[in-house]
Amino acid sequence: MASAVVVARQFDDTDQQRRASDLGMWVFLATEVLFFGALFVAYTATRVHDPAAFEIASRLTNVTLGSINTGVLLTSSLVMALAVRSAKLGLRRASIVFMGATIVLGIAFLAIKGTEYWLDYAGHLVPAINFSHPGPHAGGVENFFYLYFFMTGVHSLHMLVGIVTVSVLLIMAARGDFTPWYFTPVELGGLYWHLIDIVWVFLYPLLYLVGRSS
Amino acid sequence: MIAHPVPAARTYVLVWVALMCLLALTLGSAFLPLGSLNSAINLIIAVAKALLVAFFFMHLRSAHYMLRIAAAAGFFWLAILICLSLTDFLAR
Repeated sequence: MASAVVVARQFDDTDQQRRASDLGMWVFLATEVLFFGALFVAYTATRVHDPAAFEIASRLTNVTLGSINTGVLLTSSLVMALAVRSAKLGLRRASIVFMGATIVLGIAFLAIKGTEYWLDYAGHLVPAINFSHPGPHAGGVENFFYLYFFMTGVHSLHMLVGIVTVSVLLIMAARGDFTPWYFTPVELGGLYWHLIDIVWVFLYPLLYLVGRSS
Repeated sequence: MIAHPVPAARTYVLVWVALMCLLALTLGSAFLPLGSLNSAINLIIAVAKALLVAFFFMHLRSAHYMLRIAAAAGFFWLAILICLSLTDFLAR
């Protein structure tokens, strides 16, 4: 019901209110881009310093699980986009189902990532805990794995926040909070989820695909 | 007050198919011995995937120009961060 939309005092109408929310979210996402960006710059500087070590180290990551996880995350983004679309159309049941699927895929991603961490630990690849690597590039390889754990770790933390966010959205949708005139939280939650997907899209080739052909 | 028009579900599914094709392409190309081209191809494909997600899933395609500027600003400052840092690291 259109009348159920509350317009805050500082806005003229719901359209202006919604545009302000979208803008605020994109400004927040820009800070996230710069937050992860600093890590990508650290990666680049370290890789330029010892490119051969990064080729050796990248080959030690699990490319099968990494690629499956990329597919899982891209699929979760599709499902989340469909959840947002359903919420906008007022298809409550569909939006709930799609949000549930997004949560399941997000948890699957973290489970696969956790399996990888366990395999990395078994392979003595965790710096400061049990890292050991023979050969002249040991230092560079260790640097790669510092970055690998920090970047994927921070990304996984964002995934966790995303899963909690979508869970809250699912409860709100089940309560019937969203209408074709009011769906801002779903829209913004979707934007967050997609940005975390974009971050992984860059992490995947930089961590898993370097030096595979040599 | 009117509900806003939304893209067809088909559009989203087609974007997903394109994303999966790009994933297969980047994975496959990584195993071909192309020298420094490998990294270039991987990054170009990553940018293509990011643009697909941003324009279709994040609705930048139909967004108000204000939103597009805000979205571009983050990446613009990131480009400055990367370029200025590399003038140091690449010139050592």
